[in-house]
Amino acid sequence: MSTRTKIKGALMAAGVAASLGVADVSTARAEEVTLTMAVPDWPPTRVMKKFFDEQYKPKSGNTVKLDVDFIPWPDFYTRVNASLTSGEKKYNFIVSDSQWLGAFVEGGYYRKINDLLDADPDFKKTFMSVHENPRNAYSTYPYKSENYYGFPQFPDVLVNFARKDVLCDATEQKNFQAKYNKKLPCTGEEIDAMTWDDFKNIGEFFRRKKGEMLMGKPADDDFYGIAFQAGKGYDFSSMQINGFIWQMGGDVWDETKVPNGQAEGVVNSPVAVKALEKYLSMIDYMPPVAKTGTMDIFKSDELFREGKVAMNIDWIGVGEASLDPKTSKVVDKLVVGLAPGTPGPDGKLVRWSNIGGQPFVLTTWTTDAQIKEAVEFVKWWLSDDIQNQFAAAGGQSAVKSVYENPKYVTYRPWNRAWAASLDWQKDVWHVPQFFELLTQQQDQFDLAITGKQDAKTTLDNIAKFQQNLLTEAGLIQ
Amino acid sequence: MSLTQSARPTPTLFNVSADNWRLAIVVALVVSIIAGIVLPAAVSFWLIGAMVALVAASFVVNAYRRRYYGGLLVAPAIAVLFVMNIFPLLWSLGLSFFAYQSNQQSIRFVGLNNYIKVLTNEIAAPDNWHALSNTALFVVLTVSAQMIVGFLLAMLFAKQFPLRKYLLILVLTPMMLSVVASGVFFTYYYDPTFGILSYVVNDATDGQFILMSSKAGAVAGIVFADAWMWSPFVMLLVLAGLVSVPKYLYEAAAIDRVSAWRRFWSITFPYIRGLLMLALLFRTIEAFKLADLVILLTKGGNDTMTISYHLIRIANEQNKTSEGAALSYVMLFMVIVLTNLYLYLANRRNKGG
Repeated sequence: MSTRTKIKGALMAAGVAASLGVADVSTARAEEVTLTMAVPDWPPTRVMKKFFDEQYKPKSGNTVKLDVDFIPWPDFYTRVNASLTSGEKKYNFIVSDSQWLGAFVEGGYYRKINDLLDADPDFKKTFMSVHENPRNAYSTYPYKSENYYGFPQFPDVLVNFARKDVLCDATEQKNFQAKYNKKLPCTGEEIDAMTWDDFKNIGEFFRRKKGEMLMGKPADDDFYGIAFQAGKGYDFSSMQINGFIWQMGGDVWDETKVPNGQAEGVVNSPVAVKALEKYLSMIDYMPPVAKTGTMDIFKSDELFREGKVAMNIDWIGVGEASLDPKTSKVVDKLVVGLAPGTPGPDGKLVRWSNIGGQPFVLTTWTTDAQIKEAVEFVKWWLSDDIQNQFAAAGGQSAVKSVYENPKYVTYRPWNRAWAASLDWQKDVWHVPQFFELLTQQQDQFDLAITGKQDAKTTLDNIAKFQQNLLTEAGLIQ
Repeated sequence: MSLTQSARPTPTLFNVSADNWRLAIVVALVVSIIAGIVLPAAVSFWLIGAMVALVAASFVVNAYRRRYYGGLLVAPAIAVLFVMNIFPLLWSLGLSFFAYQSNQQSIRFVGLNNYIKVLTNEIAAPDNWHALSNTALFVVLTVSAQMIVGFLLAMLFAKQFPLRKYLLILVLTPMMLSVVASGVFFTYYYDPTFGILSYVVNDATDGQFILMSSKAGAVAGIVFADAWMWSPFVMLLVLAGLVSVPKYLYEAAAIDRVSAWRRFWSITFPYIRGLLMLALLFRTIEAFKLADLVILLTKGGNDTMTISYHLIRIANEQNKTSEGAALSYVMLFMVIVLTNLYLYLANRRNKGG
């Protein structure tokens, strides 16, 4: 008998404990609202949290807490994906790469915000003040539809990080002029005006072996003119190759043309093949690590900071380290311009480029009380004052009134390239099949980058795979 | 045994009592089947879970009342094993028969289709087979490198020499480092701009040496890194065997003036054979799962994709849960067959010897 009583007792205790646990969650007091957020661990999100803690005063009078999980970048997708798909419903806000939208909207995790925008004209006005290109990239699914999901957290574009000490050196200037009959770009404006052919010339021109003359004295190590992303991991070649394809008039599979847009014939069109060939032709002039398929955005940045290359096309997001003397040998030598373009039929440069950066989104299980505070928080975050402070602390802003402010270009060396770049940003697929499309494409590009197959075969393989996958998914008819 | 049984008779099937495990099983089965048919999945899942707990509880009470203390003592371990291992394993086996993606809410029974797709689909299957043959290559190369190096190291450290203790600690360090740390270390070691390897070779040959730009180089790089980390493990096992060889056997051999080679084959080797086999088994299973170093060093580039990494991409990154489950079971099946084949051979040789 005593055993039975003991078991009953234990069961009851467990029951009580369980119900207490549940009650604790559901009866959070009205005055205290906690917003839980998953973010990658890097300066733009640290700054956001800092501003919130120091400055945010909710209008509702409630106590609002922002509980932020800082997750290291390499783990970020895996952790977010695991949290969402496991159904733990932990986060109210999630920083998300724009391409994840489709996968997580279809999964029922990301909350559509059109009703919130319609209910609050103020909110809508703030939201619409974000430049159209980043707004489409960060917020819409399907891409460029009017279904809105996210708000810009850290908008980002590709720019040209360059070394003025090397580029402006009198001897180098003279030799370059003699060889190419063109001035070696040296100032920000001259870099802005560069084409990819100029970029390639710089690569060819500055290829110096250890001991050869560089800036009038023997180089103490091998030196290279150019670098850009050419890595197999994540999206570390697609983001650059897409730009080449768009600039030369080709296209990737276009999600806005569903269901009539095709992959076969578009992805592997002759123009696209030419664009990929052009991209590949520059790999030879880059540091040798490019031939191993591991030159990602971090490696090319490291090579630039270590003083091994004259120019590197990279995201603004990785730029901050090049301004820190502890991590950079080029702090006082930095000049930044727009990423190179391709001359169009009218002679003007076409600059299409793949947008970077991340939005943050609301999740579907966020309660009404939390949503109210979340909306207030986002309005505060996108307000001119905070966006200006954010930009001054190393962030970027896609809000027009902020980046058009003359002060904006003084915050960081790359800000001078910001506004002009925004008009030329596009995004790739937001569809749920994004990850399959991306990994297959990255694998194929890697084969081309490491010299295992030519551009035509590469794009043919990609087109065939995409046509098949997207037809099965009902996105191509 | 007879004492405890006579102390308390086993209850009959329909006698309601906490230790009537037979009744508990019948009730649990009936309730589970009805719940599975009638209730929504989210509710029936927990109800069936509760039924399993009920049966387990009745077993425990039964064991307590009839004083099967041995059973009671291992019960917590079995419970943990069931919850953490066996249940997820069975669950994923179940999933492999459905069309299910973890980021989508729909699920549909497809029978063996996932297995058919994984093994024969014209787009998916070649990648799988290719990754599998790469894995086989890595298994053969890494395991033989580790066995040879580990064995030689053990022969070295079996002798006494100055500073042996400290050198031994040094040799064991790679095994204790985290794989990520070693991986990052080797990416720099092999890096053509910053790395010492290219620096030395370039100086000697006046060319541009890039180890990781060909399949042979990339495989060599990964095998070297893996051998660097895991040879000490083989060494430890072999060393344990070497130390256990009785000294008097060597003394007797010395008196008989037996050659060094003969001494090794007839005295040393029989003592370490079992441990060598154990090391081989462990390392083969581990090598079959090789993914971390590949991710860190090549991301599967230069044709170094292994089946494990391929599986991570399918199941975790692309959320193709059930397809991943099917591929995992194919893999598990292979490992089990290999292991058993190997154990069978090892045993037969032991008996023969």
